[in-house]
Amino acid sequence: MTEMLPTAAKHRSAMSLGAIVAVFGVLSLSTVAFGSTWIPFDQIVGVILGAGEKTQRIIVLQLRLPRVVMAILAGGGMAVAGFLLQKITRNSLASPGVLGVIDGAALGVVIFLALLSNESNALVTSIAYQPVAATIGAFLAITLVFMLSGRQASSAIRLLLFGIAVAAVAKALTVIFMLIGPIYRATQAQRWLAGAVNEVNWGEIQVTAIAILPIMVLALLAARRLPPADLDETSARSVGLNLPVFRILIFALAAALTALSVAFVGAVGFIGLMAPHLARLLVGRNVYAGIIASFLLGAIFLVGADMIVRVLFAPLEVPAGTVTAIIGAPYFLFLLMGKQRNDG
Amino acid sequence: MTVNIQFCEPILNTQSADRQFLSPHIVYAALLLALVAVVLISICVGYRIYSIDQVWRAVVAFDGSETSVVIANLRLPRAIIAPLMGAGLGIAGVLVQTLSRNRIASPDTLGINAGASLGVVIASFWFGVSSLTGLSIAAATGALAASVLVFAIASSAGGLSPLRIVLIGVTFAGLGHSLVEVVLSTNEAQLSQLLFWLSGAFVDRPIALAQTGGPIIVLGAVIAIFLALPLDALQADDSTAIGLGVPLVLVRGLSFLAVSLLTGAAVSMAGPVGFIGLVVPHIARWLVGLSHRRLIPAAALIGAIYATLADVVARFVVYPAEAPVGAITAVVGGIALLVLLKRRAA
Repeated sequence: MTEMLPTAAKHRSAMSLGAIVAVFGVLSLSTVAFGSTWIPFDQIVGVILGAGEKTQRIIVLQLRLPRVVMAILAGGGMAVAGFLLQKITRNSLASPGVLGVIDGAALGVVIFLALLSNESNALVTSIAYQPVAATIGAFLAITLVFMLSGRQASSAIRLLLFGIAVAAVAKALTVIFMLIGPIYRATQAQRWLAGAVNEVNWGEIQVTAIAILPIMVLALLAARRLPPADLDETSARSVGLNLPVFRILIFALAAALTALSVAFVGAVGFIGLMAPHLARLLVGRNVYAGIIASFLLGAIFLVGADMIVRVLFAPLEVPAGTVTAIIGAPYFLFLLMGKQRNDG
Repeated sequence: MTVNIQFCEPILNTQSADRQFLSPHIVYAALLLALVAVVLISICVGYRIYSIDQVWRAVVAFDGSETSVVIANLRLPRAIIAPLMGAGLGIAGVLVQTLSRNRIASPDTLGINAGASLGVVIASFWFGVSSLTGLSIAAATGALAASVLVFAIASSAGGLSPLRIVLIGVTFAGLGHSLVEVVLSTNEAQLSQLLFWLSGAFVDRPIALAQTGGPIIVLGAVIAIFLALPLDALQADDSTAIGLGVPLVLVRGLSFLAVSLLTGAAVSMAGPVGFIGLVVPHIARWLVGLSHRRLIPAAALIGAIYATLADVVARFVVYPAEAPVGAITAVVGGIALLVLLKRRAA
C-alpha cells in the first residue's frame, strides 16, 4: 500500500513519524528526570548503562523507570487495539473502552484473583497468569457485544450502546467479585479500576512486554490485509478483506492487546479512541505508519497523563486514568455531536 | 427537535385500554401488598433473622437490647430509605423517558445521577458542606446542571437521535465519575467511606437522611402528578402538544425541576444506585399502560419494591459480607438495556 501513496504524502508521513518519535523520547526521559528530586538526563542514561550512585540508581531503576516503561507499553497497547478496532469495524468511534473490552478484562482479572487465592489471601498460582485471565475476559466481552448486536453492528452508534451495556454489567460484576476476593486486593483494585501506573514492578513489566511485543508483530503482519480506506462491507468483501476468520483474528488481537495493557495498570479510558485519530491526522492512511504512530502516541498520552497527575497532585497518587477521561470524554462528546450519519 | 415517527406510534393510543389485562385498581392493590411484604422482609431478614414480633417490640418498646438496637438503628433506616429512593428514581425515569421520547433514557443513561454525585462530592470536600440539607441541595443542583447540560448539548447539535443522546449522557456520566475520582483521590481521609457511598448502598444510613430526602421526593412526585395530563400530550410530538394547548416551556421546565429534585434526593440518600430509572418505567407501562396519571403512581410503587428487593438480595450475594446494592441494580439494568437495544426499543 505504501507504493500507492504519492511521494509528497509519504514524505510528510515520515516527517510526522519522526516528530512523534522525538516527542516520545523527550517526554519519556523528562518523566524519569522529574520528581521530588530532579535527575539530569545524562545521569539517567548513565544509570541505565550501569553507572551512577546508589540512591540515584534506586530512584531511577526502582521508582521512576518501571512506571514510565509500563505507561509506554500499556498506552501503546491500548492505542493499537483502538486502531485495529476502528479499522475492522469501519467505525471511527470504536475503542476498547466503549466496546466493553476494558471492563471485560477487568472482570477477568478480578475473577482470577477471587477464585485462585487461598484463605490467607495469597495467590495459589503465578501472577504471570493474570494477563491470561484478562485476555479471556476481554475476548468474551467483545464476542458478546458482537453476538448480541448482530446485524445492528453495522450502525456505529448502536454498536457502541451494546458495548456500553456489556461494560456496565461487567463493571458491576467486578465490584461484586472484588468483595468476594481478598480484601487487601480489593482496596488496590478500586484504584486499579480507575487506571494508575504507580506501584508496578519489573516482574509485571516483564510479563507484559513478553506478551505484548509478539502481538504487536502479529498486528503489523495482519495490517497488510486491513482495508486501507473506509470501504463499505460489499467492496471490502469483493477485494477479499473482512472475511469472518480475519475479522475474528483482528478482534482477538485487539482484545489481547487491551487486556495486557490493563492487566496491571487498570482501566485507562479513551487512549484507544484518541491516539488512532491523532495518528491518522498526522501520518495519513498508511496502515503500518498508522500502527506505529498509534503506539507511540498512546504511549505519549499515558506517560503524559501520569506526568500531569504527578505534577498537579504530588505527593498524592491520583489515578492517571482520570486525566485521560477528563481529556477524552469531551473529545468523544465533540465527535458524537459532529457525526450525524449512520444512526440506524 | 425532529421526532422520529417510530417512537410515536405506540404512544398515540394513550387512552385505549387494550394494553391492560388487569384493572389499575387491582394492580395498585397488588403492588401495595408486595411493597409491604418486601419492606417487612427487608426488616426481618439479613445476617440475623428476626420475627415480626421482635420487630414490633423493638419499634414500640425499645429496650436497648442488642436485637432492638439492630432493628431500630440498622434495619429500619434502610427499609425506609430504600423504597423512598426507589420511588423517586422510578418517577424520574418515567419523566425522563417521556421528555426525551426515548425508551432507553433514565437518570443514569443521561448522566443526571453522575451530576448529583459530583454535586455532593464537590460540596462536601471543597465547600465543607456537611449538613444533610446542604448535601441534598447540592445533589439536586448537580442533577439539574447535568440534565440541562445534556439536553442543551443534544438540542444544540440539532435534534439528535435518542441513541445519540444516551451515548452523550453515558459519556457525560463517565466524565462526572472521573472528576469525582479526582476529588476523592485528593482527600484520602474520607475516601473509604465515600467510595462505598459512590457505588450506592442503603447500609449504615442515618434515619435523618430520610427526613430531608423524603419531603423532597414527595414534592417531586406531586409536581410529576400535577404534570400528568400535559405529559400525556407531550408523548406524541411538540406540534400536537402545542395544538392541545400545552405550554411546552413551562411543562418541560417543571419536569426538569421534578427530575432534579427526585434524582438529587435519591442520590443524596443512597448514592448512585444505577439503572432503577431505566427498568421501572418499562414494567410500569406494561402493567398500567401509557397514561401518566396511572403510570406515575405505578412507577413509584414498582421502584420502591425493586429497590427494597435489590437491597435484600445485596445482603446475600457475597454472604456474610454485603454487596453494594448499586452493583446488583447495575447488573440487572445493564442486561435490561441489552434486551431493549436488541428489541430495538429505541
